[in-house]
Amino acid sequence: MATSIDVNGKTLEVDADPATPLLWVLRDHLGMTGTKFGCGIAQCGACTVHIDGKPTRSCQFPLSAVGSHKITTIEGLSPDSSHPLQKLWIELNVPQCGYCQAGMLLAAAALLQQIPQPTDDDIDQYVSNICRCGTYPRVRAAIHKAAEAHLSRSATA
Amino acid sequence: MNAVINLDRRQFVCSTLAAGGVLVLGLHDGSAIAGEAQATIWDKNDPVGSAEFTPWLSIAPDDTVVVRVTTPDIGNGVMTQAAAFVMEELGTSWDKIRPEYASTNRDYREGRVYSQVAGNISYFSGRSTGPDRMKTYLQVAASARERLKAAAAEHWGVKAGDIDAQNSVLTHKPTGRSLRFGEVVARAAKVTLKVEPTPKDRSQWTFLGKKSPAKIQIPEIVNGAAIFGIDVRLPNMVYAALRQSPVHGGKLISYDADAVKGMPGVLAVVAVRPQENKPSDLKPPFPFGLSALREGVAVIAEHYWQSRTALDALPAKWNDGPGGQWKSTAQMNDAMIELLDRPGEKVEKSAGDIDAGFRAANKFVEATYHTPYCEQAPLEPLNGTALVTKDRVELWHPSQHSLMAHMVAADESGVAPENVYFHQTYVGGGFGRRIFSDDARTVVAIAKQFPGRPVHVIWSREEATRQGLYRSIMAGRFKAGLGADGLPTALLARVSGGPGFSMSGLADTAFPPVVPNMQIESQVLPFHLKTGPYRGPGFNSNAFFVDTFLDECALAAGIDPLEYRLKIYGKWADIGWVKCLKEVRDKSGWGQPLPKGQGRGVAIANWAMRGIANAGTTVATVAKVEVSKAGKLKILQVDVAFDTGRIVNEDAIRVELQGGTIFGLNMSLNEGLNIKDGQVVEGNFDVYPIIRMADAPRVINVHYGGLSDFPRYTEIGEPPAGTIGPAVCNAIFQATGKRLRSTPIRLHDLSWA
Repeated sequence: MATSIDVNGKTLEVDADPATPLLWVLRDHLGMTGTKFGCGIAQCGACTVHIDGKPTRSCQFPLSAVGSHKITTIEGLSPDSSHPLQKLWIELNVPQCGYCQAGMLLAAAALLQQIPQPTDDDIDQYVSNICRCGTYPRVRAAIHKAAEAHLSRSATA
Repeated sequence: MNAVINLDRRQFVCSTLAAGGVLVLGLHDGSAIAGEAQATIWDKNDPVGSAEFTPWLSIAPDDTVVVRVTTPDIGNGVMTQAAAFVMEELGTSWDKIRPEYASTNRDYREGRVYSQVAGNISYFSGRSTGPDRMKTYLQVAASARERLKAAAAEHWGVKAGDIDAQNSVLTHKPTGRSLRFGEVVARAAKVTLKVEPTPKDRSQWTFLGKKSPAKIQIPEIVNGAAIFGIDVRLPNMVYAALRQSPVHGGKLISYDADAVKGMPGVLAVVAVRPQENKPSDLKPPFPFGLSALREGVAVIAEHYWQSRTALDALPAKWNDGPGGQWKSTAQMNDAMIELLDRPGEKVEKSAGDIDAGFRAANKFVEATYHTPYCEQAPLEPLNGTALVTKDRVELWHPSQHSLMAHMVAADESGVAPENVYFHQTYVGGGFGRRIFSDDARTVVAIAKQFPGRPVHVIWSREEATRQGLYRSIMAGRFKAGLGADGLPTALLARVSGGPGFSMSGLADTAFPPVVPNMQIESQVLPFHLKTGPYRGPGFNSNAFFVDTFLDECALAAGIDPLEYRLKIYGKWADIGWVKCLKEVRDKSGWGQPLPKGQGRGVAIANWAMRGIANAGTTVATVAKVEVSKAGKLKILQVDVAFDTGRIVNEDAIRVELQGGTIFGLNMSLNEGLNIKDGQVVEGNFDVYPIIRMADAPRVINVHYGGLSDFPRYTEIGEPPAGTIGPAVCNAIFQATGKRLRSTPIRLHDLSWA
């Protein structure tokens, strides 16, 4: 049974059981492996995608619930790795093994959309993804730096 | 050592050239399917027209420098460090360097061309800055540079000594003429030098120790392009979900395949059972027994979710075996602690006269500690993909030891190792879990029952947690007699645990040798749970025992805990210990008054010293904590000093010290598996919590003043994981007066009035 879903601005056809979690639709049926499997119970956040801009754990989001909602994955965060967070992730040497970082980036990007100048407490609250390597201090620093850059861009605009 | 270096120069720089300056080697000579898959960005053939200078280094006509790396990069920057060594000597631009994994198949076929450098074990796993590795890359790069110069000299008819190599360009200094590396590679690879160059002395380094390049693979990570083991997609690939005996060592009695065979997508249900012992002349880096297959059953389907759904519906019966006797965690802890009442079966180390030492004491300190089973829990669940045919195995796998995985694949499939092609992928965390290759063996055991199609096996998080190779459970009882100066005159320590708890670990630390009369004893219990490396096997538990005990001794002696350690380790032959302690004392605000409910604690330990001074990596940690009256703990600040001897990448060190501190903090705060009727109770992160942003310390200061400059560049990932736990527990004592003698901390009531 084919279903149409909107991923990164493209309409894609999927032939999968409606109960299949969006995570596995993306990874297995559509071959988009940037979204990661970590726990399967919406704990770790490795599978975070944006659904209509809202960070969502795709391992607990069935295909049947996607409907016409717009999905953004790490592959669609920017067309050419030009999102300010992607650049800062490189500049500040943020990832270690890198496995959680797609989810981390999507959580951080959603936070900055909602709160362009987040406090440390905001970051604690919005970025609840698990990183086993312990990149938290650098994730925090990169978010703050992106916020500062945004502020200075706005000031000169 | 000189003889070894000369031999290395000959072998690595000249041996391939003697064969005629081979151009364009198809290193991966894999099947069409392997070519199509491009399982990792590094799993590619060299660019067309490349010249291979040695098996370690090729240069392409477009100046791309391919550097081959044996060690899987698990996020510790091994790839980047290999590139940095080459950068120091070659005269290339940084952005031209492309690290790539060395082929284990080639290693086997070409007389251990890679693993001969430092042996199987150290060369395909572990750290990036070992002396053999460093010398090899520096030599290879220097020798390639001189060949490039010689080729340009030949081209221009000038002296090679007048040519400079920088930014991938060769310049004739007197005339300013220039050529790119890529323009002379074909000629350069054929050059024979009379004498191989000697790499620069470190005083002349311009890159190593000066620059801190970010990890070279990060651009692939931030856009989702990096291919981890779990991301491998091959034509015609099928998926498998797996369940293994819930009690380690148990057997699969039966399963009802018919119950799920009609479910959507299901292709097969296969049992996973160890084969009869068969003679093997393979020489794996670790004994094959460490990768032993665990009995189980797997469902193979067209898609992963189909296999998972069918597996959940599959009835299976198990025989628990002897492991079923361990009914509860408490039973196991009691058994361990009870053993400590008796002398140990083995004396690990002793010195002086322990009875006389106790007689000379006027104060006594005695305490019992214990630590639980912990799971590495790398965020990428165990997985792998294998394509098995009668005479060939292809394996794509996130290994921590590619050569071990290669040999295990040969052993499990019965295919000759020269016909096994191992493809190393990105690795989503290792922490020791992916070294012994039990995961690789399981993947091949399933795939060989579905030959001809690639089988992609994924453990669920619950399976990965319960089928672990854990940090062992461990208990220790310490008794010290203190003399008039408050320092120990005698030490008796007994440790116990399950198999693999690293009995000798305590004896190898620096504390026992500085006590004039001491004895360390050990005993092993027949626990059934499989154990293995976990960011420093045994080291973490020993560090917790020793550093909590030292705090208790300092208290009894009435001496400040940090000053007490300075007195103790002032007697140790390795100056790095005192330097690290003084560094954290001076930089952490140690001794400055704190409000009630706050405290500072210190710990110091060394990973991998093996009882020797000026070896391993020493780390001293000071933690500042706050405990609310209700008992809520917050880590306010962490200060870390370390001694690896010397360093080559300042920021890579900082990354690892931050990450290792957070890993060790989680271990101490949160981790501990429970056992019920032989089974591991916890399955997922809801009950095996991992620290998140909100609970991680916002301030982790890394200080560089502890470095001894002793000529070594030792590893940095494991050491900080040992000291943070006892530092926090000692800080909790300062804040609340509560002494914690077991972890995880979250099980203790920290409330105070």
